[in-house]
Amino acid sequence: MASIEYLILILVGASFLAYLFTKLNTYLGSVFTILATMFVFASLAGYGFGMGLDTTVNYLPWFTFNQTYLGFYFVIIIAFVYLMVSFFHPYYLGQYKYKDSYNMLFLLSLAGIIGAFYTDNFLQLFFFFELIIWTTMFLIPQGKSREAAVSYFGFSVAGSVAMLIGIFLIFSSTGQLDITSGLAAISGTNAIIVFILFLIAGFAKLGAFPLHIWLPIAHGNAPHPFSPVLSGALVKLGAFIGILALVRIVPTANLLVDSINLPLGQWLVAILGSISIVFGTLMAIKEDDAKKLLAYSSMSHGGYILVAFSLMNSVAFAGGFYHILAHAIASAAAFMAIAAVARATGTTKMKELGGMIHKMPITYLAYLVAIISMAGIPPMGGFISKWLIFMAVINKGMIFVAIAIFFGSVGSFLYVFRPLAALFLGQEFREYKHVKEAPIMMLIPTFILMGLNVYTGVFPSFILNFINNILGELGYAALNVTSSSIINVFDGQGILNPALISLVFAVGVFIAFIIFILLKKSRSVSLMDTYTAANFVHDEHLLHYSVDFYAPLERLYEKHTNWMTKFYESLAKKVKEIGNLGKYLFMSKNIGTTMLWIITIIILLLWGVAL
Amino acid sequence: MIINVLVGIGIAFFAFVLQTSVAGLNRKIVGRLQKRIGPRWYQEFIDIFKLLSKRSVSHGWIFDFGVIMALGGIIGTAMFMPITSNIVAFQDYDNFFIFVYLLAVGMLGMAMSASGSGNPWASIGVMRALTTMLAYEVPFLIVVLTIINLSGTSSMTGIQIFQQTAGNNWFILALPLGGIVGFIALMGMLGKKPFETYIAPAEIASGPMVEYGGKQLGMLFILHEISVWIEVTLFVHLFLGGATNIFEFLIKYFAVYTLANLISNVNGRFKIDQVVTFFYKWPLLMAVTQAVIAIYFGWVI
Repeated sequence: MASIEYLILILVGASFLAYLFTKLNTYLGSVFTILATMFVFASLAGYGFGMGLDTTVNYLPWFTFNQTYLGFYFVIIIAFVYLMVSFFHPYYLGQYKYKDSYNMLFLLSLAGIIGAFYTDNFLQLFFFFELIIWTTMFLIPQGKSREAAVSYFGFSVAGSVAMLIGIFLIFSSTGQLDITSGLAAISGTNAIIVFILFLIAGFAKLGAFPLHIWLPIAHGNAPHPFSPVLSGALVKLGAFIGILALVRIVPTANLLVDSINLPLGQWLVAILGSISIVFGTLMAIKEDDAKKLLAYSSMSHGGYILVAFSLMNSVAFAGGFYHILAHAIASAAAFMAIAAVARATGTTKMKELGGMIHKMPITYLAYLVAIISMAGIPPMGGFISKWLIFMAVINKGMIFVAIAIFFGSVGSFLYVFRPLAALFLGQEFREYKHVKEAPIMMLIPTFILMGLNVYTGVFPSFILNFINNILGELGYAALNVTSSSIINVFDGQGILNPALISLVFAVGVFIAFIIFILLKKSRSVSLMDTYTAANFVHDEHLLHYSVDFYAPLERLYEKHTNWMTKFYESLAKKVKEIGNLGKYLFMSKNIGTTMLWIITIIILLLWGVAL
Repeated sequence: MIINVLVGIGIAFFAFVLQTSVAGLNRKIVGRLQKRIGPRWYQEFIDIFKLLSKRSVSHGWIFDFGVIMALGGIIGTAMFMPITSNIVAFQDYDNFFIFVYLLAVGMLGMAMSASGSGNPWASIGVMRALTTMLAYEVPFLIVVLTIINLSGTSSMTGIQIFQQTAGNNWFILALPLGGIVGFIALMGMLGKKPFETYIAPAEIASGPMVEYGGKQLGMLFILHEISVWIEVTLFVHLFLGGATNIFEFLIKYFAVYTLANLISNVNGRFKIDQVVTFFYKWPLLMAVTQAVIAIYFGWVI
């Protein structure tokens, strides 16, 4: 019998052991980290699905735990991403400045995650959230830049402060710190304020518009093995807070338009989610750094999750939950493929890379499968979730949200194809002739993620049935799924048979393969042997089209892309000015000023006592 | 299940034969338009089989794999498509989004293969094809949203039957603005002028197709014919009430494809940014207007 308390204690203990082991030998410490993560994941997977974990608390005073399907869904996804990523540690940690602490902080943040999703108390939730933020904050600057950590920390703290105020408000108005009953008891104006505060926290963690600035900075500059964790796992904490607010608190009245039939608050969140989708898509199309591109794609997918959870019906919720899983797997796989390339070549800039497919075919396949899922194309998991969200939006008749989700969906073909074309395909560069495929240890998670991407797209019934448990817990009707994975939404408005789609696709590919194999064998020629309109091109760089891939499209909007950044820059300037004012007033070197403040404060305190 | 799959393969084969013949006939029609006699109607078959029989070159495994994946994806998509409201391989499972997204697998395969050839023209062509797709898909999907919302089903057979029921008009009449948007989007999907930017033979050497020859090009021709069939058939089923029997289908199909082809032949070519600005101006505005009128006000003829 595994107990949540033991899992957390084991992780905390393991984190200190990992520190010692890593200090001795990086490889040893990393392998220990893999084993520890694997143990935790196995215990969670073994007991958690049937809600069989022990929630009793013996050693951690004041802590209480509770198992919910909702929490477990997040925990298992995130623990899985952690496990997959830990396989990369032995190959990356050596180059980091503070490598001893890397594994320790990694395991500590996992402990925070298990606590955050299993606790039933708001203050503990806040505590575990801070644990996650503080541990991961020290992981990010080990990558390319320190500013990235500042940006990540700033937005995260803004989010958690908002959440803390919300928690205080709930406590002061209802006297409850229990998550479920607290959210249920709150009403009136307080409910609206808590709704907004929790959504600020959710948006900040999810990186949704308008709190998205940190996302590309942190994802792009984080250490290569940590970017998949950020995008696949940590961002999903925001979705969790968002769900708490969107599903459990419905503070406002319905919109006047009958056919939309949504509360105003939810409708506004759907609009903000739509803006996230469009903004993320446009920025991703423009981006030249593969990791930042994927970061903007995370922002766009965060928008889908927000739209899904603001639609107030079980189809959309199922779509949102499925999207969390599908995106976690796809985005982790994509980031890990880019990480493998970055390890081999030392760069993630697309204009400096090309033709990696000839050296790293398996990494290429992993990336291909991941982007097919990300773009929402069958037979991968992303298709199921996007299809559910589409059907829900169509059923509601939300036209403007629909523009955004369709734009984001087609736009995702554009941006995910870019790394594929610029980084993996095209001409093979001379300077990367020595590059080899990633070592076998790094290919293990690659294969597992590839398999899961396909599995989630072909047989979704197991996961959808689990999601049905969550829907039941939230008080919504279950999604109609048969054991052979046929999904039926809105009484036949949409019927999907993912297994059949995959079968038919396989049949099609088989036919095409037969046609191909029966015809004459082609002669193999080099990549330089191409049509160049009778010009003699001797340098493969000149034949590689990768810089500003979508230049004609970018030109249409590139002037309007930085106004949010400018807004935050001017905000930062204003904050600095206020800080300078404070410094001028309080931090004076003049003894008289200091005395004045001391006396004023004493008087105020005495006055307070007198009252 | 095996019978259904066989029916599906039959539909894909029918699609290939039908569209290749119609394309041949259209070459003749266009020839007459330009005061030429034009080639024989089966010229397209001759071209394809000649290409398939020739020995070609290959630029590596992804070059071949992409072609196989592309043709496979398109054949798979065609297998789902109903020909009429009662000839369909997989009853109930012909959801609209399969046609948009399974088609995309084929397109992704082709884009991969083209980029894998290492020719910059091919990459430029792929870039333009994807940008065009971003342009026409959104207005088109908004119109389809209206159709699904009104008819209460997203199955292609269901949408046909809805239009064939007494009291309901064809959607091109019920949603006139949407019908226009649908046709313009169809022109974009087919890559007909003025949206031919991604092929542009005189400008970027046929774009994605530049490096192909022999069997790979032959397979891409087959792919092209089947995907044209899927796109035109989508229009017939969504806007023209589908078909109750195969002759009705053939007439509607021929009319739509020929009209698109005729319009294409009297037009010049847009630049790629013009394609995007065009689709995000009038068609999107019309699609949204139509959706608001139809869904929020309930004014449907």
